[in-house]
Amino acid sequence: MIELHNVSKVYNSGGAPVVALRNVNLTIAEGEFVALMGPSGSGKSTLLTIIGGMNSPTAGRVIVDGIDVYSLSPERQADFRYEYVGFVFQQLQLLPYLTALENVLLALAIAPTPRTEKIARAYEILAQVGLKGKEHRLPSQLSGGEQGRVAVARALVNRAPILLADEPTGNLDRATGMQVLELLRDLNGAGQTVVMVTHDPQAAACARRVVHILDGQIVGDTVPAPEHALAPAVLPISQPAIEPCSNATERVQ
Amino acid sequence: MVLLVVGLAIGVATAVALMAITEAMQADVAVKMDEYGANILVVPKANDLALSYGGITVGSAAYDVATLSMPDVERIGTIKNAANISVVAPKLLGAVPLMGRPVLLAGVRFADELRLKRWWRVEQGMEPSEAADALAGARLAQSLAIQPGDEVEVNGRRFRVVGVLAENGSQDDDILFVDLSAAQLALDKPDAVSLVEVAALCTACPVEEMVEQISHVLPQARVTALRQAVTLRMETVGQLGRFAVAVSAVVIAIGALVVLTTMLGAVAERRQEIGLFRALGFRQRHVGRIILTEAALVSAAGGALGYLAGMGAAVTLAPRVANVTARVPWDPVLAAAAVGCALVVGVLASLYPAAQAARVDPTVALRSS
Ligand SMILES: Nc1ncnc2c1ncn2[C@@H]1O[C@H](COP(=O)(O)OP(=O)(O)O)[C@@H](O)[C@H]1O
Ligand SMILES: [Mg+2]
Repeated sequence: MIELHNVSKVYNSGGAPVVALRNVNLTIAEGEFVALMGPSGSGKSTLLTIIGGMNSPTAGRVIVDGIDVYSLSPERQADFRYEYVGFVFQQLQLLPYLTALENVLLALAIAPTPRTEKIARAYEILAQVGLKGKEHRLPSQLSGGEQGRVAVARALVNRAPILLADEPTGNLDRATGMQVLELLRDLNGAGQTVVMVTHDPQAAACARRVVHILDGQIVGDTVPAPEHALAPAVLPISQPAIEPCSNATERVQ
Repeated sequence: MVLLVVGLAIGVATAVALMAITEAMQADVAVKMDEYGANILVVPKANDLALSYGGITVGSAAYDVATLSMPDVERIGTIKNAANISVVAPKLLGAVPLMGRPVLLAGVRFADELRLKRWWRVEQGMEPSEAADALAGARLAQSLAIQPGDEVEVNGRRFRVVGVLAENGSQDDDILFVDLSAAQLALDKPDAVSLVEVAALCTACPVEEMVEQISHVLPQARVTALRQAVTLRMETVGQLGRFAVAVSAVVIAIGALVVLTTMLGAVAERRQEIGLFRALGFRQRHVGRIILTEAALVSAAGGALGYLAGMGAAVTLAPRVANVTARVPWDPVLAAAAVGCALVVGVLASLYPAAQAARVDPTVALRSS
């Protein structure tokens, strides 16, 4: 459902031009869980934002669900982001003066849905990520892992088919980071397409496919492991049947 | 945002206070206009030595020369700004022997004269009502021992003095006032008029313009604007009005600048938040609308606050600094103008910041703050 054809990106903001991506070709199917791995500055975030319709490539085309994303007008690109993409930022970007519920509702602010329905959906998605009863807390009143879940809930609430996460565990300790990773994996188990940037091999182990990037080029693409490929497509999210991230002994209880 | 509200409020308050005080002063002048009497004098053109009446040039040395007529008086009422004329008071003056002494006789239309000279008080007796009724000046009555009810004879015509005026220190104290038509008969000058005093009530238009209009319909007359206190005050009010407009314009310009810089600052400060909105799929239009809505709310609040503060200042300051006795009016038009102006200025000055906000790149949400 996501196709990148010869995508290149050169940043020109002051000083010498920086080549962030060179001739990237990548296809991601519906329901995949892809980890983009690579050292810092290799172009992972750039690639993710280009997939997410918020960063125009210098060359090449991005086709999502048959839509040539960057041929759209800027306003239609915004619509594309609303309809197709949920984004989890490395810094989470929760608004500190809004409650968990209000932060989630923010992603529905421009939807024509009636307000009562929006609120019902926000409650539902917060329950789904395990924050039932904490809807009215401010981010500062939540743990790091819980904040991460709010960010994931906000990315999911518009029912976008693609969930993009930029180092979602980057600011969390190992245990809470693992909670967020499990959440992503559970969502993927329920059919959600997930593309996640990480430079942590253990985090990448949660994904079913790992794409290695170096200096703006794809240098490796590991095929999904057979046991993961056989995992059932739909599962109740709160009770994951899949063992967390390939190694049961590392599971955080 | 607080700075913005306060900045706009101060601007609006200044403008509102100035406008309200000006308005109050205009109302004040309009009231005083009536009390100060004539502000335009119409006399025949004459080359002879001037004689004066109460500091006012009456005409030539000989009282007998009267070149204005009743139709001339009627013509004054035909000028373009006739609606601004409140009183036209024609007079015929003449020296007459009274009880063996020369006395100045003034023929007036009592109804007009009494309206023009609000300061006149009939001390003894009553106001004239009949054609043969006369009013005597205080000193005249004293020196000739005239009492209300006395009959006097002027050039063979009999008048009944019905009242004596209170002394007011002007030449009126020495004059015998009778009805204009009767005076014309007594002086044997049918239809003649020596001078016309005109009270023009016009705070908006310059008296000079009305002077010119009267000169135009009465080419044989000399028309002068009297530089009375009220005329000067009227000019001052006019100047203050223009000053208020100028200051308001400057203040509004400064207000716009405050809004512009504050909103630009707010947009810069919230770049990451705006980037997040954009990443969540908000259109540029949505972001722009958010900024403009915020600006509108804040500006309207500033305008309302400024109106209240300005009116408060005007109500307390007007009697002290501007010596205004009229009440400062609570003008709904001014209120609407204040809020409306703040709103328009606030929104217009926020257009550029809103455009800046709309241009924020969604990827700024990725950057660490
Ligand atoms: N907005 C930008 N302007 C200029 N250079 C940028 C910008 N964003 C990223 N880069 C540069 O592009 C390269 C790739 O960045 P990025 O995609 O963030 O890598 P990663 O996420 O893998 O660390 C880096 O050299 C970075 O400095
Ligand atoms: Mg990055």
